[in-house]
Amino acid sequence: MTIFVIGAGFTGMQLAKMLVLERNKVVLIDNDAEKVRHASDALDCTVIEADGNSIDVLEQAGIASANAFVALTGDDEVNMIACQIVDSAYPDILKIARVRNYAYYSAVDSASRRKRTSSKDTVRAMYGMDAMVNPDVEAASAIHRAVEYGAVGNIIDLKNDFMLTTLSVGSDSVLVGRCMRELPGIDGWNFLVAFAEPETGALIPRGDTVINPGDTLGVVSQTADVAQVAQFADATHETFRRIVIFGADRVGSMLIPLIAEKRRSTLWQMIFGGKFPESSREVIVVDRNAVRCHEIAEKHPNVRVLCGDITDEALMSEEDLYSCDLIVAASGNYELNLVTAAYMKSKGANKAVALTASTAYGAVARKLGIDVAVPMRGTVVDSILSHLRGRNVSAIHSVCNRSFEIVEGDISDKSRFAGKKLRDLVELDGEFLLLLATDSNGVTAIPNGDSALEAGSHVVLIVRSGNTDLLAKICGK
Amino acid sequence: MLLSIFRVLTYILGIAGSALLLPLAVALVDSDRRMALVFLIPLLAVWIVAIAFWFAVRKRPKVFDVKSAFGVVGLIWIVICAYGSIPLYFSGAFPSFSDAIFESVSGFTTTGASVLQEVETLPRSVNLWRCETHWLGGMGVIALAVALIPLLGIGGFRLIKAETTGPDKEKLTSFIANTAKSLWLIYVMLTVSQMLLLHFAGLGWVDSLAHAFSTMGTGGFSTRNASVGAFGLPAVEWICTIFMLLASVNFALYYRLFTGRLREVAGDSELRALIIVVLSSIAVVTLLEYNASTPFSQTFRNVAFQTSSIVSTTGFMTADYTRWCPPAQVVILLLFFIGGCSGSTAGGVKVIRWTILAKEIGNEMHRIVHPHQVFTLRINGKPGHESLIPVVASFILTYFILVLATTFAGAIAGLDVFTALSAAASMVGNIGPAFGQLGPTANYGSLSTALKWWYCFAMLAGRLEIYTLLIMIARGYQSMYTRSLPRTRTGT
Repeated sequence: MTIFVIGAGFTGMQLAKMLVLERNKVVLIDNDAEKVRHASDALDCTVIEADGNSIDVLEQAGIASANAFVALTGDDEVNMIACQIVDSAYPDILKIARVRNYAYYSAVDSASRRKRTSSKDTVRAMYGMDAMVNPDVEAASAIHRAVEYGAVGNIIDLKNDFMLTTLSVGSDSVLVGRCMRELPGIDGWNFLVAFAEPETGALIPRGDTVINPGDTLGVVSQTADVAQVAQFADATHETFRRIVIFGADRVGSMLIPLIAEKRRSTLWQMIFGGKFPESSREVIVVDRNAVRCHEIAEKHPNVRVLCGDITDEALMSEEDLYSCDLIVAASGNYELNLVTAAYMKSKGANKAVALTASTAYGAVARKLGIDVAVPMRGTVVDSILSHLRGRNVSAIHSVCNRSFEIVEGDISDKSRFAGKKLRDLVELDGEFLLLLATDSNGVTAIPNGDSALEAGSHVVLIVRSGNTDLLAKICGK
Repeated sequence: MLLSIFRVLTYILGIAGSALLLPLAVALVDSDRRMALVFLIPLLAVWIVAIAFWFAVRKRPKVFDVKSAFGVVGLIWIVICAYGSIPLYFSGAFPSFSDAIFESVSGFTTTGASVLQEVETLPRSVNLWRCETHWLGGMGVIALAVALIPLLGIGGFRLIKAETTGPDKEKLTSFIANTAKSLWLIYVMLTVSQMLLLHFAGLGWVDSLAHAFSTMGTGGFSTRNASVGAFGLPAVEWICTIFMLLASVNFALYYRLFTGRLREVAGDSELRALIIVVLSSIAVVTLLEYNASTPFSQTFRNVAFQTSSIVSTTGFMTADYTRWCPPAQVVILLLFFIGGCSGSTAGGVKVIRWTILAKEIGNEMHRIVHPHQVFTLRINGKPGHESLIPVVASFILTYFILVLATTFAGAIAGLDVFTALSAAASMVGNIGPAFGQLGPTANYGSLSTALKWWYCFAMLAGRLEIYTLLIMIARGYQSMYTRSLPRTRTGT
């Protein structure tokens, strides 16, 4: 595949690196000489110093033969217009833009949803974009998921009511010392370990893999069972009454309405005011920017907004923030998030969630005692990759610092394995594990050797990152 | 500039003068030829002037200096009040011109304080005109003019803003003329419904109309010496109670109600506060006043009527509250300082201002405990009203300074302190009756002429929410001052 990437920032570089590893032809365009020099040294791809929104530049670089166009500059408008420019001349190219402005994002999102549901051809996605990625929305919903399930670890929503919970095994866990083969023998265990991450490095578990305390496990379970999984792994699972959100910029401000419960008012309350059944959850937002604080306070009457620095001892003790159940550090300063979350936890906060720059910080966060570290940029590359993997792949979630990918896809009727049983897959080379399969009745379950793979059925599997051949063989091109 | 002011003035006078048609008709029905002439001559005079002026200047461009809108509004009100006193004076019912002026100002400002002890002997047409001045002044003559003729153009909203009450004014529709039309239509509909109800409850047509005018304008003039109590009909009293309260609600809410925005109406902070104030004061006063000698229903009806009458700044009466026990009197005195809602026909400080102030006090207390927390001021569930706090605070301060100055004026004229204070609150709040020597059964006729003129100023200042009149005086002073200075040229 030939893929054009506009913008050689952090995400652009990360994406280009992934794509090059998968033996794609990448054309990276940026107008910053320094970035271009750095990118051409680091990556095995074409790097052009020019404006990515110029059709002449794109045509000279060979956009006509490209398969996909990804706009990742720091400017929403440039990204969207670049897609429109490509769309006007080459409507068949897959176009993806990063859009951080939530108003644009929601507008285009609704337009593309209408396009999908409408039978008419007149409804067109805005600016010809096939997909739009908003890293803030994705990070905010990842944090929200983690908080809703007790902040036991990162939670990936696998749809159809299944989840993948990443959590570390405590020393008192019943799982300690057992190998994978023994797990189904434990009373009440009907989950699947998708990956394990001991000190020595991440791996897809085999029957004889032994679980040690401190290992990180990725466990597939039904949504309702997350608490039970946490119990097995000796991770405390609790509901939060007092939540402190540190930082109310992009991600933080999207998080507030998700976490703070809406207070529903009856007509009686509207007339006579009064505080009838109050929300049982107190949400406190701390930010140092006075203007932003004011906006948040105006927008969300049901949260308390404090204007000040989280490192200000006076503020913290004055408002007794150390005694909170949960600290969510979601500011734009990722290093400060780590420090804040670790500090608050050491001062008495029960649980800590931190927004970090990338998956690379996961191990550091764990060492600092932070319960959940939600990576910021990983999600962007994942969603772009899932669009580039072809029509059978609907979503990709990278885990274990990009060592593995959880892939959601459909078995096409062209697949060699359509209609075969799971044990027939043994002939395939490479590490992989089938996590979930939806049978013809639409029932999703953790499969066993006798499960049949039918054409059109939905599957979730874990593979080593970049192993696109394996994916192509299972799902079909 | 002067031309534009005159143009506006004559047009509005022409419209307000047309209101004389109603008492004229009553005088003709009563075949009272003298009274018919008293109303007909001012009517024709103002029509002729307005039409002549229209012919003379209709080709001239309509320039309107928006800066002088406040001054123009003050001027219009003074001229209208003077004009309204002409038929009153020539009816012969008033001993002096000052008395006629006082009665007219009291009418247009919807105060309802009368200089007459005996009104039942007045011709029906005069009584109707007294009540009609309440009705015109209640919603505002300028709003009426803007609704009827599109003469004011771009400056219209500024003029109406200077006339309507409340700290935060809004247009309901994109055209100011449509807003004014909708508001007047609602006003007329409410008035007609009250008139019909009063008629079915047993009043004559003219009495019904007069009391509907007086109630909807939250004025207080009556055709009887003993006010509404004179009829002795509980149904009439209840109808008046309900319509007094309806008239003290922001008329924009009726517009919302008719356009189906029920939730906005239910969520209105000011309406909520008004309901709480009215219900709690009725409950407290009923408890204080109830005794076994009078039936509960009668006490309750009297208290509900009197409380609504004061909170809506109407000033009707069925019972003499100065004979109630002292705590009940204090509750009534407190209501003198509250007033109705903004954008209603009621006077006083207005509920919304107290609401804003109360919310700010609550925020201030929290701010002391949580110095870092960010607080917002929510009105009607919407944030962003912080800028109103100094506006409201300075208004209330100015209001009380005016009340104190008026108290001082009353004391100089020989009133006792309590009478002077309550009368000052009553005048500035456009209520009508006061306490002590000027209680609901007394009248203002015995006051000195100078005090009557000061009270006229206080009533007008209260109706136009002080600033409109203060600005006019301040601007007048300023322009005199600058004119006397030699002009300095600045070269370019």
